Amino acid sequence: MSAISVTATIAPGRRQLVNVRRQLVLTAKLRILLLLAAFGAVALTALLRIALLGVLEPVSSRQSMADALLPPRGDIVDRNGVALARAFPAYSLWFNPKAMGDGGPPLVKSPREVAAALVQIFPGEDEARLTAVLSGSEPGYLRRRILPEEANRVHALGEPAIESPFENERLYPQGSMAAHVLGFVAADGHGRVGMEQVYDDRLTNPASRGTPAMLSLDLRVQGALEDELGRGMRETNAIGAAGIVLDVDSGEVLALASLPSFNPNLIDSAGAANIFNRFTNQVYELGSTFKPITIAAAIDAGVVTDFSKRYPSDKPLKVGNQQVRDSHILGASLNIPEALIHSSNIVTAQVADQLGGVRLNATMRSLGMNERPYIELPARGFPLWPSGQWSRITTMTVSYGHGIAVTPLHLASAYAALVNGGIWRPVTLEKLAPGQAPEGRRIWKASTSARMRQLLRMIVVDGTGKKADAPGYRVGGKTGSAEKPGANGYRKSSLVATFAAAFPMDRPRYVIIAMLDEPQGTAATSGQRTAAWNAAPIVGRVVPRIGPLLGIMPDDSRDVDISDLSPLVAGGAKE
Amino acid sequence: MNFNRDYVRSMGWAFVLMVCFAVTMALTVRVNALKSEVRLAERQLISLKREKIFLETEIETRGNQQQLRALNDIEFGYQAPTAGQYLASERQLAALGKPAAADAPAPVRVAAALDETEQLPFAAMVSPLTGKAMAAEVQTSSRERPVDAAGLSHRLSQAPRRGVMAE
Repeated sequence: MSAISVTATIAPGRRQLVNVRRQLVLTAKLRILLLLAAFGAVALTALLRIALLGVLEPVSSRQSMADALLPPRGDIVDRNGVALARAFPAYSLWFNPKAMGDGGPPLVKSPREVAAALVQIFPGEDEARLTAVLSGSEPGYLRRRILPEEANRVHALGEPAIESPFENERLYPQGSMAAHVLGFVAADGHGRVGMEQVYDDRLTNPASRGTPAMLSLDLRVQGALEDELGRGMRETNAIGAAGIVLDVDSGEVLALASLPSFNPNLIDSAGAANIFNRFTNQVYELGSTFKPITIAAAIDAGVVTDFSKRYPSDKPLKVGNQQVRDSHILGASLNIPEALIHSSNIVTAQVADQLGGVRLNATMRSLGMNERPYIELPARGFPLWPSGQWSRITTMTVSYGHGIAVTPLHLASAYAALVNGGIWRPVTLEKLAPGQAPEGRRIWKASTSARMRQLLRMIVVDGTGKKADAPGYRVGGKTGSAEKPGANGYRKSSLVATFAAAFPMDRPRYVIIAMLDEPQGTAATSGQRTAAWNAAPIVGRVVPRIGPLLGIMPDDSRDVDISDLSPLVAGGAKE
Repeated sequence: MNFNRDYVRSMGWAFVLMVCFAVTMALTVRVNALKSEVRLAERQLISLKREKIFLETEIETRGNQQQLRALNDIEFGYQAPTAGQYLASERQLAALGKPAAADAPAPVRVAAALDETEQLPFAAMVSPLTGKAMAAEVQTSSRERPVDAAGLSHRLSQAPRRGVMAE
């Protein structure tokens, strides 16, 4: 019984065991198969992907090199291609309290510790301010500009909430130089004040911003002009100074300065106060610098034909109840060259009286003295122009630069026409290709212009402009020291000293104007406040610096021929 | 198996087609690999050009006219050359050769008659401390002894004392 029953009990048990084993093997095989299939699918996907990448060209953001290097805002360069304003990628330091994204404290360490670590990197920073910003919940700048190595050091602090985003900065490598010409870019990304505003569309348009905008400025000339104007301003304690170097044949501006300047890289309240452009926007009564214009108009009209003719100058000229007087009695009578050399208001007024208000008015109009100056800059001052028909006294005062207020830029254009053969051209800040100079309009005959070159040279050789006579450069020009108008007439103590010049006078190439606003008499100017002592020396120092750069070499053996006029001037017959 | 001519030909064509396909694929893959290399190189170029702009701007900013002027004012004091330093034309060159005018001052000339035969002795070196000729102070031995290590270290250790003695 027992044997049969045992066999019977074992047999079903073994069968069951075999079944279980078979099932387990089947499951295992199935799992392996599934695993294999999964691996196979992954491998196939990878293969397909490789094939796809290999056969089909990836269409991921394809960007040409030109696109990638296209600046966000076009550069501005000078006439020789030196950068004046350029787009500059820079790091800033930004605190982003939500960077962790978990609602916890934004910083790993305490704000105080992080601030102390930041001060280690930026020694000038205010630790208390940084702590306050880092303790707050508002995002904000910790520092506007940091250097790449500083960004690396900040990164090494291991604080995800302190970010150093890449920002496109507008950088002016030359600092405050030519700031009034360039202007600046405001926070809204648009240009203000200078050529940044004028060229705004061109500098932001993707089609044109790849090519830098080229100005007519020459950085080296600009630097020399600003240096010497700044020196003149410091030496005379003037409140401001302005100047220009202008190409007489094309109207291109080589340098234009208004001091005190501002730093376009950082517009603060002190800088904002200096944004006003004295040269193109401020109108002044420019005084005696107008006399050559009057004399030229008189020569051109045939009013002055004899340079030896003498005009009385020993007593003030009475017109109605007003008087025209000189700073001191210059002699019983003066001829035209002497009147210019000694800057006589009385003689100039007599010449203007003979010329007549209508003709002087017409000359001034043709020189654009009754409208805003021609230049691309948005800051252009409107002249104070005597309206209506000019009375005798108005004609006389205008003839020596009073009763009419224009910008120094008006004067520069007029002087260019005075010496270049008589053609007036609009002033431009864009570099012109050779032969592209505007046609302009004729104001004076070429013979008048030739005469004026002689007279202007004589003023520097024998007259008030002696201190501008840079040896070998044949400078010619005219001083002007005008009192500024105040509440009760002209203020004796506030002058505008101007020296308007051109060089070389035997073949004038450049007009150069230096102007000082309210210069004081100092030891450097022998206690004098007039242009002969402060503005003329500036020109005398600028010319030797810029002449060779502009291709004008000093040459003592050349000069404009003044031998026919020299004998007319007392002490001038020596040549 | 019965391979007739048509079958072999079509197999041949299929084989050629497959080979062509494989070669085309390989070529495409190679071309795309090259293209991506070009793109990589382009990216490197862009980053290098950006770095160049960065460095250019930095050097322009550090070397701007105002900085250079300040440096010149403090360190060098260079000034613009004067008219006399230029020789721009033939006329100026010719002017140098002009005979002196009648009332012109006599040119300053420095001349010295050197005796070719005379041997000029070198100037004796003078001690800045004593004002005497160095030769008078230095004890020169008539015979040069070979330098040995012990002698050198001895002399080096004596150096400060010798310095004091010289005063």
